[in-house]
Amino acid sequence: MVELEVQVLSDRREGLLAELGRAVVANGFSLIRQRLTQDSHGAWLTMIVRGPSEQRFALEETLGTHNRVLSFEASLSGEDAVATAVFAKSTPVAVHAPSPEPPPIIEPSATPSAAVMPDIERVEHILPKLAQDYPSIYPWLVSLENSVDDAVRESSLMLAGRRTGAWVYKRDYALGAKLGLSDAIKRIGVPALRQLADIEQQGVHVHILNSPLCTPGVQSGCKFYGGYLEGLLGASVTPKKVFVRHLSCRSTGAPHCSLEISH
Amino acid sequence: MPMHVSYNWLLVLLSYAVSVLGSFTSLQLAVAIPLATTPRQRTAAVAMAGGAMGLGAIWAMHFIAMLACDSGMHVTYAPSLTALSAVVAFAACSAGLMLVGDALFSWLRLLAAGSCMGLGVGAMHYLGMAAMMMPAVISYNAGLVVASLVIAIVASMAALWLAFNLRGPWQMVASALVMGFAVCGMHYTGMTAATFTDNGGQLPDGYADGLRGDNLGLTVFGIVGTLLVLMLVLHYWRQRYRSSISI
Ligand SMILES: [Zn+2]
Repeated sequence: MVELEVQVLSDRREGLLAELGRAVVANGFSLIRQRLTQDSHGAWLTMIVRGPSEQRFALEETLGTHNRVLSFEASLSGEDAVATAVFAKSTPVAVHAPSPEPPPIIEPSATPSAAVMPDIERVEHILPKLAQDYPSIYPWLVSLENSVDDAVRESSLMLAGRRTGAWVYKRDYALGAKLGLSDAIKRIGVPALRQLADIEQQGVHVHILNSPLCTPGVQSGCKFYGGYLEGLLGASVTPKKVFVRHLSCRSTGAPHCSLEISH
Repeated sequence: MPMHVSYNWLLVLLSYAVSVLGSFTSLQLAVAIPLATTPRQRTAAVAMAGGAMGLGAIWAMHFIAMLACDSGMHVTYAPSLTALSAVVAFAACSAGLMLVGDALFSWLRLLAAGSCMGLGVGAMHYLGMAAMMMPAVISYNAGLVVASLVIAIVASMAALWLAFNLRGPWQMVASALVMGFAVCGMHYTGMTAATFTDNGGQLPDGYADGLRGDNLGLTVFGIVGTLLVLMLVLHYWRQRYRSSISI
């Protein structure tokens, strides 16, 4: 069990607690207390939630890609004694999971197995830098690649990619109608990916030429692009979920890194 | 006897520029309709987009184009029909944008929305023509009238498709240029369809109380100014929103 303090910024407060409370519950957490305030930036919702530690990644991912969320921060509750004091006065609220909601879809990479859990802290740490220097982000990604354990490298890069992709979508591609997967790949995925790398695309297949994150014979980092595409296309193709499969990688001797997109 | 009509080409170009400006502002607002999460936000976005399109891209364009058209007669406009033409343009555009401004795209919806907007452009134009008071009668070539409506509907559909389905810079620029073509193509085809015949100098009742070109010019100027301000505010607001989204 972990207790997290989550702070969310949204552009308006109506229905925010209900929608995010649902997301919290769907990830197996319960809401202990919450506080909703408003300032010139928008509505701030702070929640103290408790749930299984192996679900923390899934919850943060849900919140990070939620359409109501402009930005969010999550930390272990108790890390910040001041916040706890502020919350001492607020009343506990019970949130009931609405029964007609479909069960949350947990992707393979989010399964509660320690080996594939990304290094959330290090990813969270570089995310603001990715946003600041976007699209010149390779120095940060390479430093992330080198700073995490081998076992969690791929999942950490994938998480960084997914958060970056979801952010780029909200920033640059959210206006207009929802697109089908093949149109979303052509009109959103390809131009957004071209900002980061030389690519070739045929239907649902994307080849990253000379991925700077993958060194032949050494390490593979092209999971970043997979996560990036999932985050980028996921919001346009909703309610379906987008998955990216890695077919080949330069690190294992292939001429380029190849991805396959499906939903 | 049919009268000869000549055009001031500078004003013709200005009429196209105004319809593109109105379309651009309107479509910028319209593509955000699917993002609205409360009915109030949605209504506000639809009304503003419908206003920019109906009053800016269509109504103001029409009267600039009428100022560009010199038939050698003094023309005044019946205030009630002129106002009605503005209301019809606004309502038709709002309805069309509401139809297509849904998160999910479908061809049927696009057809309905394009017809709404295209017929709205046409209705505005022909009501605006009916509002003309002058010592002449207008007759129409039915084939060209139908052609003008077809142009308006097809080009509106194309513009809406571009605005909602493209991404990147062309999403807004191409759709506004095409929507401007829809409005102007309809208008000038409709003008070609019209023949003005001298009725021997008989002025209709209420001619002296009609709106004159300079009254309309001032209104049009006000609308264009509002469009420019709206576009700038929207641009500023969107930049702010964009930088407020954190990763
Ligand atoms: Zn690779």
